[in-house]
Amino acid sequence: MSKVIACYKWVIDEADMKINQDLSIDVRNAKSKVSDYDRNAIEAAVQVAKMLGGKAVALTFGTSKAKQSIKDVLSRGLDESFWLNAEEAANADNAVTANVLAAAIKKIEDVSLIICAEGASDTYARQTAPRIGAALDLPVITSVTNIAIQGEDLIAVRKLQDCLETVKVKLPAVVAVLPEIYKVPIPSLKAVLAAGKKPVTEYKPEELGIDLTPLAKAGQLKGYFMKRKNIILDQEDSATKAIELVKYLKKEGVI
Amino acid sequence: MAGIYVYCDNDNLAAELLSFAKKEGQAVYALTFSQEAAEKIQDFGADKIYVIKGNCPVIESYGKAIAEFLKNQAADLFVVGATPRGRDIAARVAGYLNCGMVSDVLSARYTDGKVATEKMMYGGAAVQQVVLEGLSVITVPAGKFEAAESNSSAIETLSLEADNRVTLVETTPIKKEGVDLSLADKVICIGLGMEKKEDIRIAQGLADVLGAEIGCTRSIAEERHWLPVEQYIGISGAIIRPQLYLSLGVSGQVQHLAGIRDAKIIVAVDTNEKAPIFKAADYGIVGDMYEIIPLLTETLKNS
Repeated sequence: MSKVIACYKWVIDEADMKINQDLSIDVRNAKSKVSDYDRNAIEAAVQVAKMLGGKAVALTFGTSKAKQSIKDVLSRGLDESFWLNAEEAANADNAVTANVLAAAIKKIEDVSLIICAEGASDTYARQTAPRIGAALDLPVITSVTNIAIQGEDLIAVRKLQDCLETVKVKLPAVVAVLPEIYKVPIPSLKAVLAAGKKPVTEYKPEELGIDLTPLAKAGQLKGYFMKRKNIILDQEDSATKAIELVKYLKKEGVI
Repeated sequence: MAGIYVYCDNDNLAAELLSFAKKEGQAVYALTFSQEAAEKIQDFGADKIYVIKGNCPVIESYGKAIAEFLKNQAADLFVVGATPRGRDIAARVAGYLNCGMVSDVLSARYTDGKVATEKMMYGGAAVQQVVLEGLSVITVPAGKFEAAESNSSAIETLSLEADNRVTLVETTPIKKEGVDLSLADKVICIGLGMEKKEDIRIAQGLADVLGAEIGCTRSIAEERHWLPVEQYIGISGAIIRPQLYLSLGVSGQVQHLAGIRDAKIIVAVDTNEKAPIFKAADYGIVGDMYEIIPLLTETLKNS
């Protein structure tokens, strides 16, 4: 049966991140999550697999911590999951990530479609789908808001800056979807329970023969600090606050 | 020919990228897909502008061919405008070259064959430094560099072969339901603190007096569907740089703040004094927007 692969990333929940006084970043108490937009990509894979009469499977490249993600994604309607387990994933750049995912996709047989989100919630680099396409020399369609299947063709609607572009491609192909493509349903209790019984395949990077040295050298990571005036208008009544605000805005020359 | 190669499907941004490349003291070459586009960016100092001639209307399909061209030219750096098409083509080129790439740089400096960049991480909560060496790719959003007119460029045709596996069925212009917020001088932003859709009218009253456009947070557009998705502000939506940004009932999640950091003045009105928006604001009013908006509208009318 042909497979539709949803690629996803297990990321730190940025809402739990703490930025210290010196702008260093503390993620010790941060929980992890399936990257927000990847959930829409997973739902797209589930829906397109139905159209194709195929299987929807998950693929991730992550450290040992990503193990927790597998039950989560399998409860979202996917049939099977593949996990590339390597500690190097923590420092991988976009090139390494795409090359590793592409090598895994070659190992997974009978793949008709690879679906990625446009970007991950930590890096939001939006490189993975085009790079996987390049690594496998497959056609790529990005910024997709709608997918339909017609015979052997996939018809996609792309949302670009000033137009909607409808394009057609013969499968296999790589597609990057925008979050609005499908709403993410909340998994049912039954689906959560069934997730534990679905097949999981773990790959080690040695099996893939990919160089895991990042090409982009990451340097300092610092919390972003926006210097603002932070003036809270604390006059007694709201009418005075409104008057004061208008005075300030005039002084700033913005009204 | 070694040097910095530039491509952008938006002419204004292409001009900014040419000026950046020129400033770095390298030979500069631009890629375009039409004579018209080439002429629009002709006065920004490129040593040469190539007009790519081929038979495919989907320009992303030239990714592989552009990668080969850059390699043959011994290019040093490929700089691409961060638009949907630009990001796609840039990542494809980086993929075919199997080289490093940084997306949507906040800053970039090119010296001694290395490009030192900064980019946002975690939805804008952090800034990461990244260095690329050898032939690499970066994408650059609008407004990072200033376009400066310079000498006029020679234009030359370049024949490239496209990957024709993706075919164009049709193109429909997007009917803009709202305005282009990225160009607005003043923006009022509606957040989840607004109780019902009809209340947008009250905000509109204030917007009319101010001469402001109305934007919103992602939840207002994508969950409540009160405004078109083009109107939401944030890292995955509109990135704005108005003189005045005024939020009503916006909590100020980091992804939203990433879209407003270049605003000159940020004003926040929200009931929750602990909302992160106040840390990002120049002026804040802790209070009920339903009380504040009419007062503010009146004050502005009378002033």
